Amino acid sequence: MLRAEKLSAGYKELHILFEINANVERKKITTVVGPNGSGKSTFLKSIFGLTTIHSGRVIYNDKDVTLTPPHERTKMGIAYLPQVDNVFTNLTVEENLKIAGYTLDNGEYKDRKDLALDVFPELEYRMNQKAGTLSGGERQFLAIATALIRRAELLMLDEPTAMLSPKFANTIFDKILELKDRLGLTILLVEQNVKKALEISDNAYLLISGRVAFEGKAEELLDHEKFEQLCIGI
Amino acid sequence: MAVIEGALVYSNLLALLSIGLTITYITTGVPNFAQGTMAVFGSYVSLTLWLLFGVHPYHTIPVSFILGGILGIAIYTVVLRPMIQKEAMIVILMIATLAVDLILLGALGAYSETLGVISGKGTRKFIFTPMDFKILGADAILVISSLAILMLLFTLFLLLYKTKFGIALRASMENPALAEIMGVNVEYTRIFSWFLSGSLAAVAGTLLPFRQEIVPATGAIIIVSIFAASIVGGLSSIYGALAGGYIIGMSESMVTFYLSKVIGPYILVYSKVISLIVLIIALIVAPSGIAGLEIWRKRVWRKSSSS
Repeated sequence: MLRAEKLSAGYKELHILFEINANVERKKITTVVGPNGSGKSTFLKSIFGLTTIHSGRVIYNDKDVTLTPPHERTKMGIAYLPQVDNVFTNLTVEENLKIAGYTLDNGEYKDRKDLALDVFPELEYRMNQKAGTLSGGERQFLAIATALIRRAELLMLDEPTAMLSPKFANTIFDKILELKDRLGLTILLVEQNVKKALEISDNAYLLISGRVAFEGKAEELLDHEKFEQLCIGI
Repeated sequence: MAVIEGALVYSNLLALLSIGLTITYITTGVPNFAQGTMAVFGSYVSLTLWLLFGVHPYHTIPVSFILGGILGIAIYTVVLRPMIQKEAMIVILMIATLAVDLILLGALGAYSETLGVISGKGTRKFIFTPMDFKILGADAILVISSLAILMLLFTLFLLLYKTKFGIALRASMENPALAEIMGVNVEYTRIFSWFLSGSLAAVAGTLLPFRQEIVPATGAIIIVSIFAASIVGGLSSIYGALAGGYIIGMSESMVTFYLSKVIGPYILVYSKVISLIVLIIALIVAPSGIAGLEIWRKRVWRKSSSS
């Protein structure tokens, strides 16, 4: 569904990623892990067009989208949820959902909203509450719900469980699995909770210093004898 | 009583102007130094319609509203947007608005001369006070300027909270990048904010000659109070700007009046000094303005509710 071909990217003159080759399979969960500063978040941002691409290509559904602006990628079905600032805190939950459906007609918006609330029924009781007053976990629910309303096919999540309690983190992982199994979404996940993320993933990439150090099945990485050393970059 | 009425009128107009300034600052990050002269533009629109067609200035409010809005859009699209697209720093944008202010001032000066020749009346200085009348015992300007503020707040409330475009506008104010990701055309919301800001300035400009004498350079004097009101309001909140308008407007009028009683009438010329002193005191008490006080209040509330 999505391919990065020899992708080198960063921020203006700063080079962070070096010739990354990666393949995100349709209706699978692919997790990118790696030590701090390895370029995981930059990888997601590069896929979404928020960094400086120095060379290489991003192919989505057989189309070269390397230079496509982010809002166009949204229309193509790619949703990127940053770690923070992924909802409008001054708007209510309902208004956040409405904005997500800004380009949809009323009938379609209602269908998508019903679907999103079916996956995240917790939000139904918070509709008139400002998003800024939600707990961290509920905010992640809302952020993912907005992506569902936007008809996302590929969901890119940047550390969705960061700063969440273990209980809420587990719920998020369960929801991610549900999105894949029930709605057939393709998920590209960056996570600091490596073990748990790999347990629900199909494929995995390990990035170290902006280069791919491992690619393969998630369970292979989990079972790797040097798994822990690899994850902290030794 | 007349002093309080005058102070209320001035505060109403200042609130219209500082809300306009704050809206464009939130949506485009431009501190607009031309806001005062944009108001004087409205004064001249009304003067023209009065002198040439005999239309009472109160009846010119809709025309002023629309032409002011068009001027706002023109300033944004012709001058500021190209600079913002080239990632100009805020200082550059600020200087650009100063340049716009001077250009407008020159144009208004030349226009007032021309208008004087065409109408055969003096237009360098003018005042609408003799045309005012009474409504229920009060000066019409007090009633109309208060109605203008109430209507603005009511319309803004309906627009921002009850329409899809209004929600998009608030979303764009909070996080334009995320709004863009959601498919909102953030540029439309910016253009709209400049229309609204220009309209509010021009309406304030139509009403201002009922309170004070207008010359083309009046804008350069009132801009001090407009900025003071917006900064006291926190520059990030429409309601903060509204409160800032009343704090600066009332203190400027009332304090200057009482000082003139104690010290002497010559102090009236220095009324803007009062605005700036209030600004400094307000910022020492609340460094982020009134909007900052609100954030502080929420934090305290959260702390107390979590403990």
